Amino acid sequence: MNAALEAEGLVKRYGARTAVQDLSFSVPQGAIYGVLGPNGAGKSSTLRMLVGVLRPTAGKITLLGGPISRQTLQHVGYLPEERGLYRSMTARGAIAYLARLKGTPASVAYKRADALLEAHGLGKMRHKKIKTLSKGMAQKVQVLASIAHEPDFIIFDEPFSGLDPVNQRVLEDTIRAQAAAGRTILFSTHVMEHAERLCDRILLIAHGQKAFEGTVSEALALAPSVAMLETDGEFDLAAALAPRGFNIEFDGVEHGNKRWRARLENGKGSRQLLAACVEAGAPLSLFEPARASLHEAFVSLVGDKAMPGAGE
Amino acid sequence: MSQILLVARRDYLAYVGAWGFWLSLITAPLIIAILMFAPILLARAEPPRVLTVLAERVEDSGAVTRAFDTMAYDDARREVNAYVQAATPAIANEAMAAFDGAPNRAAAIQAARHIVSMRAPRALAAFPNPSPRYLLVDPPVTDIEAMRPYLDGRQGLADGRTLYGALNLRRVDGAPRIEYWSVNLSHDEPSNIARRALRLEMQREALTAQGVDPREAERLQALDPSVAQLDPRPSAGTGEVTLRQRAPSFAALALAFVLWSVVFSVANMLLTGVIEEKSNKILDTLLTSVTPLQMLIGKLLGVAGVSATLFLFWGALGGTLLSMAATSMADSFVGQIAAAFIEPRLIAAFAIGFVAGYLMYGAIFLALGSLCESIQEAQTLLGPVALVLAMPMMLITPALDNPNAPIIEMASWVPIFTPFLLLIRAPAGLPWSEIAGMGALMFGAVIVILLLASQIFRAGVVNQLSVSSLFGRKAKG
Repeated sequence: MNAALEAEGLVKRYGARTAVQDLSFSVPQGAIYGVLGPNGAGKSSTLRMLVGVLRPTAGKITLLGGPISRQTLQHVGYLPEERGLYRSMTARGAIAYLARLKGTPASVAYKRADALLEAHGLGKMRHKKIKTLSKGMAQKVQVLASIAHEPDFIIFDEPFSGLDPVNQRVLEDTIRAQAAAGRTILFSTHVMEHAERLCDRILLIAHGQKAFEGTVSEALALAPSVAMLETDGEFDLAAALAPRGFNIEFDGVEHGNKRWRARLENGKGSRQLLAACVEAGAPLSLFEPARASLHEAFVSLVGDKAMPGAGE
Repeated sequence: MSQILLVARRDYLAYVGAWGFWLSLITAPLIIAILMFAPILLARAEPPRVLTVLAERVEDSGAVTRAFDTMAYDDARREVNAYVQAATPAIANEAMAAFDGAPNRAAAIQAARHIVSMRAPRALAAFPNPSPRYLLVDPPVTDIEAMRPYLDGRQGLADGRTLYGALNLRRVDGAPRIEYWSVNLSHDEPSNIARRALRLEMQREALTAQGVDPREAERLQALDPSVAQLDPRPSAGTGEVTLRQRAPSFAALALAFVLWSVVFSVANMLLTGVIEEKSNKILDTLLTSVTPLQMLIGKLLGVAGVSATLFLFWGALGGTLLSMAATSMADSFVGQIAAAFIEPRLIAAFAIGFVAGYLMYGAIFLALGSLCESIQEAQTLLGPVALVLAMPMMLITPALDNPNAPIIEMASWVPIFTPFLLLIRAPAGLPWSEIAGMGALMFGAVIVILLLASQIFRAGVVNQLSVSSLFGRKAKG
């Protein structure tokens, strides 16, 4: 598959501080690509370099088959992390203005603005000024403004932040619809669930460096599986299975039963765990193998402290 | 439409759509009209101030009274002359001859008025009716102490008027002494008039005491040289310097002030406009579509459009009023001033100075604005900006006095002064080669400053370089 974007050895330094260090990745055409990482990991700096707002200290970016230029950027839609529109413009005017700046003729820009607003439930708001819209509505308008010129490549920086769950779901649908229309989408987030639901491929950045790049399945495979168990009475499951090579932690008491969390490592799966429990005579009242999450996958890759939400 | 024009159009519409724009559009001419005409209307509306003179010697009282009469006559002559020169220049000499031939002030005004009514009846409606500044009345009492109630407002004169002041003319050891009594402590013009009158009276007394004939003494006191100003340049001819020759300098001064006020007024717009965009977090979005340089030029053009709209409106309004006035003032000073504005050298200087000056200063303000985090921070910058803008103004008066002084010639080649000094020096016969040279200098300076400003602008809006960070202080707000 052709790459819509290729970044090689990207470096961004602000004085003595290095925000992005030797970052290389490739975004396939038509893919939904997630850039994940905790706050301060270098996601926004990376995205701003991809759209030409920041100049890389070193490295090379190939966007839509060529270097970053005004011409290639005409085919890119960008929603920055720090969002804003001209407060005194109408919703329709703001969308059309940004589309026109990207080369869309005026009449087309206004028609698209009307259609997009209508399609996203903001038809009645088209002539309202941005300052009169709610924060969520204004954010929706800005998302629409970033795609009104029908770009080939869309870059969203933390698009879900500030949206309520309903509008987050609407935005997910918008992203899927854009991908279905053949566009390539790259977005950054620190909410793993969005990436897990949407992305074909993901890039994990920690401390400005690439920690992982690949498919979601590949990432999940890196995370250790777990299983949740419950035993009746005073039975000590951790002590009983330790000699059999299982790492089991006590996870509290629920409905009078002891709850345990088992990490499935070293090639041992849930089947072996269940067999070991039977052999040890464990009085099981619950055995529940759990699918690893992206969060767990990334904890295993970069550790707890570097993960989103750490320390928050 | 190119990105630059789109940015310019958006900025223009944003400013024009704000109520403050319409307020400026309407109020500025009103305020200027009030400032121009209020003093005249106030002066005309104010009745003459009532004075009285107490004197130990009738000669002193007579001298002072004559001085006030002469002043009233001269004021009236000046006012009538200004009117007929402006409104009816063709018959101005005839009207003033009639004025001068009349026996007294009232008759003189009437005589000039009569000429205007016969020869230019359309101009009669606005013919002035000068009233004297002071009206001298007989003292209500003969003792200055007894006059106090009249002077402090406790008691009015018999005809109901209030006494403004009293001149008590005494002789102390034979020398005149003027005591001016009035509750208006800051206004001492009456005493100065009396002082000049009595000085002449003292000179007359001294001369006659020396045996000089009183008429000869009067003639000696009236001796006064006449002054003529001439321009030695071949193009100026041999005549005296008239308003026609001076008008281009007045026009240049007016244009320099227009340029200055435009630059000063847009400074605020440009500074706050960029800060608004920074606080609206929209610049990242825009910078994927336009370069900082395109944005800078677009914003400059947008604000220039706002200024142009204001000036076109005001110009149309002023032009209409002037042309209305000019219909009855053909060949008058209005026409001469208007002709001065269309002098080619001045037009070239204005085109270069105005466009380049606006772009240069505008780019500097935009770059500064991009370094500000808040309106408050920008306001602190406006102080130094005002000082920078005051620098060219400090050179304007010396440049008017001597446009070819070495310091003025040198300063003309420093870009921050060039636009203003080019305007002021152009009417003084600045060679076309120098005008072209300064134009080239300004063109180069504008290019360099625009490029530098776009770099600062990029650093300010993209890399968050700010005034606070430059001075190592954490930004607030």
